[in-house]
Amino acid sequence: MFSEKAKKNADACRFCYMCRHLCPVELVTGKENNTPRAKGLQVSMLERGMKMDRGCAVTMYECLLCGACTADCVTGFDPLVFIREGRTQAVLENLVPDFAKKVIDRLEATGNPYGATQAKVDLTGVPQAGETLVWLGNAARYAVPDVAQALLTILKKAGVAFAVLPDEPASGCELGDMIGHVEDVRAQARRAAQAIAAAGAKKVVVLDSHDCAFFLHECKDWGIELPEVVTATAFVAELIDSGRIVPRKVDEVVSYHDAARLARDMGETDAPRAILAAMGAQLHELYLNEKDNKNPANKACGSFVRARECGSSIMGQMRPDLAKGLCENRYADLLRTDSRILVSADPQAAEALRLSVPEGCETRDLFVMLSERL
Amino acid sequence: MELKAFMPGMILDELADAVGGYDNVSIENSDRATYGVDYFWVGRMWEDRGQVPPMPDWIVRPGSAQEVSKVLKIANYYKVPVHIWGGGSGSQGGALPMTGGILMDMKRMNHLIEIDEVSRTITAEAGMIFQQLEWYANEKGYSCQHIPSCLTCGTIGGALGHRGIGIMSTKYGKIDDQCISMEVVLPNGDIINTLPVPKHAAGPDLNQIFIGSEGTLGVITKATFKLYEQPEDRQFRAFLFPDMHSGYMAGRDIMQKVKPSILRFYDEAESSSIIKKILGFEQPGCFMNLAVEGFKKIVDIEMEIILECVRKWGGRDLGSDYGEKWFENRITFFYPGHIMDIPQMFGTMDTVATYANIEKIYLAMKKAVKEEFPFVRYISHSSHWYEWGCMNYTRFIVEPGDVPQDPEEARRLHNRIWNVGVRAAMENGGVINDHHGIGLKLSRLMKEQYGPAMQVMEALKKQLDPNGIMNPYKLGL
Repeated sequence: MFSEKAKKNADACRFCYMCRHLCPVELVTGKENNTPRAKGLQVSMLERGMKMDRGCAVTMYECLLCGACTADCVTGFDPLVFIREGRTQAVLENLVPDFAKKVIDRLEATGNPYGATQAKVDLTGVPQAGETLVWLGNAARYAVPDVAQALLTILKKAGVAFAVLPDEPASGCELGDMIGHVEDVRAQARRAAQAIAAAGAKKVVVLDSHDCAFFLHECKDWGIELPEVVTATAFVAELIDSGRIVPRKVDEVVSYHDAARLARDMGETDAPRAILAAMGAQLHELYLNEKDNKNPANKACGSFVRARECGSSIMGQMRPDLAKGLCENRYADLLRTDSRILVSADPQAAEALRLSVPEGCETRDLFVMLSERL
Repeated sequence: MELKAFMPGMILDELADAVGGYDNVSIENSDRATYGVDYFWVGRMWEDRGQVPPMPDWIVRPGSAQEVSKVLKIANYYKVPVHIWGGGSGSQGGALPMTGGILMDMKRMNHLIEIDEVSRTITAEAGMIFQQLEWYANEKGYSCQHIPSCLTCGTIGGALGHRGIGIMSTKYGKIDDQCISMEVVLPNGDIINTLPVPKHAAGPDLNQIFIGSEGTLGVITKATFKLYEQPEDRQFRAFLFPDMHSGYMAGRDIMQKVKPSILRFYDEAESSSIIKKILGFEQPGCFMNLAVEGFKKIVDIEMEIILECVRKWGGRDLGSDYGEKWFENRITFFYPGHIMDIPQMFGTMDTVATYANIEKIYLAMKKAVKEEFPFVRYISHSSHWYEWGCMNYTRFIVEPGDVPQDPEEARRLHNRIWNVGVRAAMENGGVINDHHGIGLKLSRLMKEQYGPAMQVMEALKKQLDPNGIMNPYKLGL
């Protein structure tokens, strides 16, 4: 039922409590089942004869797959392996909770979690093929089009020749997050790779960090060939570094939210900070951000990449109540600093952080901020 | 009284109404099973052998003391048991819902309430994982200095509930020294506060009635702790002693003269196994590591005094590296692959005693366990020290080949080893437990420990919880 790898991880995690303090979902709900240990315990019990029930399926879907637990484990166990397979099992046993099923249905019907059929980004005059292809992702195309528009503006002002697929297919990342890395997901990923190849791309600049991590990790593992893949943040930081764009500086205090897949999966924490520095921003780090290395407590055990994830498009669609709680907790971190501006550099983070902005606080997308200063 | 037909559902509706809706209650089988395993070896073995774990009938997640109060009033009306669950990381089975009923998961109550920088105190709800509390303190430049190995998995309420201790206790005290005041919901639903300061002459300290009560006398919902400035300097040192006696005596002399934050002394069996595995140290003898911290000028002098004490008892100075390495790995010891785990059988029979008795206890427990169970491996260290005595963190380990597969037989062997070890400690001046608590594991031995003094606790229980709903069969109550 579960792979040997999943069973090995679950058997370690079911008795270990060491990442209990980190799960952003558990910190909102206070539910034992939202801890990796409880999910491991349930997988272990399923392997020992317990029947999967609706509660177990809900448990598997109440997770951002942000990897905070994995990053913190000094012994290298990865709860995400058995959580994804738990979702696959819920699908096989027809136990997917309604809140998740509607998102899976939308992903299968339209390729995006919103069930939208028309992208909101204005692509007038943008070529559909070229050596540099900008991959926007679902959140930027449908939920926060201003983020996509800002990136395209920046690239135009920098004189970059780029293309965007008007009918960008699903990458497979979101479906993989919902049903596990099964053949249907690999098929979506292959179709995305074919579309990229058909556009003649030699480099793909990916705006959505979920898609970028998926291209760089899962697609590579599955032998799906893609041209050079770079994050939009790294690409834009290079444009600034090479002098192709020079942003106007504004002296203001901001904090930066490290999106989990950008910071933890791809280790990209410097590029967005370099862009902020180029705009003259004084960065006041949120506590436990990777860059806050001054306090030895941050290095107490495991990785110190502990940045609390703020949500995701999928969570926003599945569980708006939970997504709002995740957002509020991230602003609680901001409110303990002397900054009241929270900047993100990922469309899914921008979407999540707009759900519930406290009075007196402001959220900004890095690309929107930059495009206004060119 | 048996609940028939839709009566359990009626109670579920009432509980949901009490805690803000159905999102905060559950009766799903898988949810209930999750609460049937904590860190207690018997519970873990039971699950590992595919047995049905002890399960609550209703799970509730209150969001405030008022909601806790409502739940307790409902529980008293229906006379159903209530079990309090924090991090679920206890090793004594203290949170296991052995009689079913209501399980109250406290982790929704995880909010910081106040940092008082003038008084240097921090107040938070009791469902907060202690690491979160420590991070909030760190953010302002302070520390609670309660740093147990369960820092990342135990809640504030859990630490208070079983009288926990952290690795820095030798300087900063146990949780009962660090707690200033608490909010407690009594079994009848009344919400009370202990006095705002712990030192007074207004009768007995109410804090000390509820700290260590393991959810049998009420529910701790909020607590205030001391804050400390981060030390300017922290120096580490490791030593090697020829035998247990010299190490115990050196430790005593150190404690009479200075106040290290960490002082850990390992018998030869643990020095040559766990210390060797984690720190790479491999020489015959008994390993000791310590830390001294505070203002550098004072720390330098304290370290000089420590070196004199060590020399007097024939200890060899190993320098600072091993002490630093131990500190870096202080939690690594407890991760999968580094700590004992099923299919091994194991247990920590921690006890505390005066210096006149502590070595005698070490030898007596070892002899009793070895004679009765020759296949048992026995290791021990002393990690919390006082001016008058110290504790032994004594562990027994049974390798998989000697652990019965039948869960009933395995449980029986486990409990027999515990009885022999703990009785040897008590017969030689030690106490039933130092810092893991009593829970279900040691409940049966409480009356042996206390004798007629147990009636004081029984009277408290009878008065505060006349229906006996609070965490039945734990703490000997």
